Amino acid sequence: MSNLSLIVVGLVAATLLLSFIAIFNSLVALRLRVQNAWSDIDVQLKRRHDLIPNLVASVQGYMAHERSTLDAVTEARAKAVASAGGTVAGRAQAESALSGALSNLFAVAEQYPQLRAVESVQLLQEQLTSTENRIAFARQHYNDEVMKFNTAQATFPRNLFAALFGFSPAVMFAAQESERANVNVPI
Amino acid sequence: MATQSSSAVIDGPRGRQSFFEAQRRNRHATWRLSTVCVLAAVVMGIPLALAVTPLLYAAALLIADLINIWVPLPASLWQHANELAHYGSVALASLTQSNAANPQALVIGAAVLLLPGAVLSIVLWLGVNALFRRAGAGGALLALQAREPNPSELKELQLSDVVQEMAIAAGIPAPKIMLIDTSAANAAAIGTSPNDARIVVTRGLIDQLNRDELEGALAHLVASIGNGDLRIAFRVAGVFETYGLLLALINAPFGPRARRTLWRIVRYSLIGKKHAEASAAEAAAVADLLTRGAAMETDDIDDFFNTTARRKSVLRSIRNFLFFPIFLTNFAIKLSLWFFSFSILEPSMALLWRKRKYLADASAVQLTRNPDGLAEALRKLNDTRRAIPGGAWAPHLFLVNPAGSDRMDDPRANALHQQMLAQMWTSSQPASGSALSGPPSNLASFPSVMSDIFATSRQAIAGDPNAAARMMAFRQAAADALGKPVNDLPNLSDFAAAQNGDKASIQRLSAFRKQISADSSDANSTRSADSSLNFAGFFPSLKRRLRRLDRMGAHVELESARVKPAAVIFIAVLSLVLAPFALLALGLLLLLIGILMLASLAFLAVWMAFIHQLFLMFVHR
Repeated sequence: MSNLSLIVVGLVAATLLLSFIAIFNSLVALRLRVQNAWSDIDVQLKRRHDLIPNLVASVQGYMAHERSTLDAVTEARAKAVASAGGTVAGRAQAESALSGALSNLFAVAEQYPQLRAVESVQLLQEQLTSTENRIAFARQHYNDEVMKFNTAQATFPRNLFAALFGFSPAVMFAAQESERANVNVPI
Repeated sequence: MATQSSSAVIDGPRGRQSFFEAQRRNRHATWRLSTVCVLAAVVMGIPLALAVTPLLYAAALLIADLINIWVPLPASLWQHANELAHYGSVALASLTQSNAANPQALVIGAAVLLLPGAVLSIVLWLGVNALFRRAGAGGALLALQAREPNPSELKELQLSDVVQEMAIAAGIPAPKIMLIDTSAANAAAIGTSPNDARIVVTRGLIDQLNRDELEGALAHLVASIGNGDLRIAFRVAGVFETYGLLLALINAPFGPRARRTLWRIVRYSLIGKKHAEASAAEAAAVADLLTRGAAMETDDIDDFFNTTARRKSVLRSIRNFLFFPIFLTNFAIKLSLWFFSFSILEPSMALLWRKRKYLADASAVQLTRNPDGLAEALRKLNDTRRAIPGGAWAPHLFLVNPAGSDRMDDPRANALHQQMLAQMWTSSQPASGSALSGPPSNLASFPSVMSDIFATSRQAIAGDPNAAARMMAFRQAAADALGKPVNDLPNLSDFAAAQNGDKASIQRLSAFRKQISADSSDANSTRSADSSLNFAGFFPSLKRRLRRLDRMGAHVELESARVKPAAVIFIAVLSLVLAPFALLALGLLLLLIGILMLASLAFLAVWMAFIHQLFLMFVHR
């Protein structure tokens, strides 16, 4: 009889251990995904930094009178590149300033019909549009992953062990105030 | 500039049902349904195993007998064989007699009867999966006609950008993009897993959709890849290919077709092909052969036993008599495959796949945060031609049903024709860009070239000398390109003559028209029937997909076509009346299958005993 109870106790212990391992692994996997999504944002920001000099060079000839707009973009890019090693808040500030400068550039470019007709500029504009989208989608993906991770930590049965294993909720990527102002332009 | 995405992140869903909720529900539904599908496949496998196992035993006995001639096998082996046969017969007897036998003997008997066939089926399934994993599922034929998008063309750059964006949003590696030059509008995700996934898009799709709609359409495919649909599709195809392979193995002794199929599989698995593309095509061809083998088609074994077609002879009758058990087994297997796949497997799989489509739609909304894009794309695609040759092989992988249109034509030939015509038109253009023909025609936009040609010819007939000269130049270019004498092609005067009823002119015109219409019919989109008519189809109807997107916040106008209660009552009464008959028919079919199985088993047993005795006599002599 004691043999049987020993087996039962052993089975229960093994099940508990296995479920511990499963919970721990799933939380680790989710955290890795969050970290990965975060670094994806960096990749896309870097891509934008690399693209801007090309853009400025190719529109310079057509927009000789818009020196200040172009300079603003170049300057904002330089600041964003410089902030890459700094704090998250500082980076976010610099990057959203760059976004603002770029959208300003495109608004000005709209006034040059001959510029819009040039195919290479169209291609470049598409690339830049896509880059802006990629950054937005990378953030969205990051936020989705954060939500999954945080939900997993907050719901039963993982909530019992999340703190025990040393997991803490990740922080969502919130849009900067300046960006929000940009988006809410009356249509 | 598209900044809609950054604002949508903040907005969140506007709809009555969030896309997270929709995904959760559809995911749960697919879990339930895939359990049903696996059960169905197992149920389907039982008669198969029951039919294949005796053949395996027969083959084993034959081999043992042959070896026994030269090297006498130990008596204990024959003893064991006898015991196995005993257990099997006990299990079989308990089927027909209600008195329960010893339960242990029953279990062993069932194992004896089922296990070898089941093991063989599973091994074959694993083998088929491993074999076709290299080539990718289904869409290999599609990929053959495709090219990579050209990054220096705005629309095609946009396509690859959008795919990249969606892959980022989904957090998967960006799938490779293949472009097919046809005016039909459709797209598919092919491959076996997210790592080797490819997205096939037609030129017609990117021509017809704007950036938001393109984003929605591609988000569906990327989401489908991210959700693991490709793996499911691959496994399911593997099940059917395994059934086909089993049938081919059984048929192999009887005819060239099954042998050829087997030989191709062996050759492909051992050697493969040098080029990846040719290899993929070979894999697709082999897989196609296998799936068709599993369908109820006449094959070698029917030809083999078809005595009416050939002259009768005593030898042939004896041979037919000897091989009759195998014929019976083959027929029983086919009948049960057909019965179970028709009644259980296919409906549940179709239902499962429709749920996967809804799931991908909901995930697409999560990726784009813009349900309107996908809704508009679906609506537009529903109104256009979307059939793609080569797509018939893997129709379930598409965004919208590629079988929606009745016409199937070869896009490569078509694209070539179109390109040729457009080239002729542009090359015949006067060097000093005349105001008449406008800007140089783009080779890609075939419809605009056609309308250009028709407009100019109308002007020429009306008496415009510029247009007439343009048409004559085109005529010369066409004659050069087609390698025909200029006088064979219709002249301008032919038009005038035809209006007056000149027969030769009319004939020449109609011949030319036939040639052109072969090219231009592609440009005229044919409105096709709604796929919702197909009950067991792999695609949900447009209306249902739109309704779900509407629930997630899309702004679609749904015609509130409420079904009349009278119709519902009529259908309910009809199905109540018909249901017993349908059940009776199903039961009778099952009974028939069972009887066939038992009969084939009995024949096989008698036959094998006879042969075994012959061998024994031979050995003892």
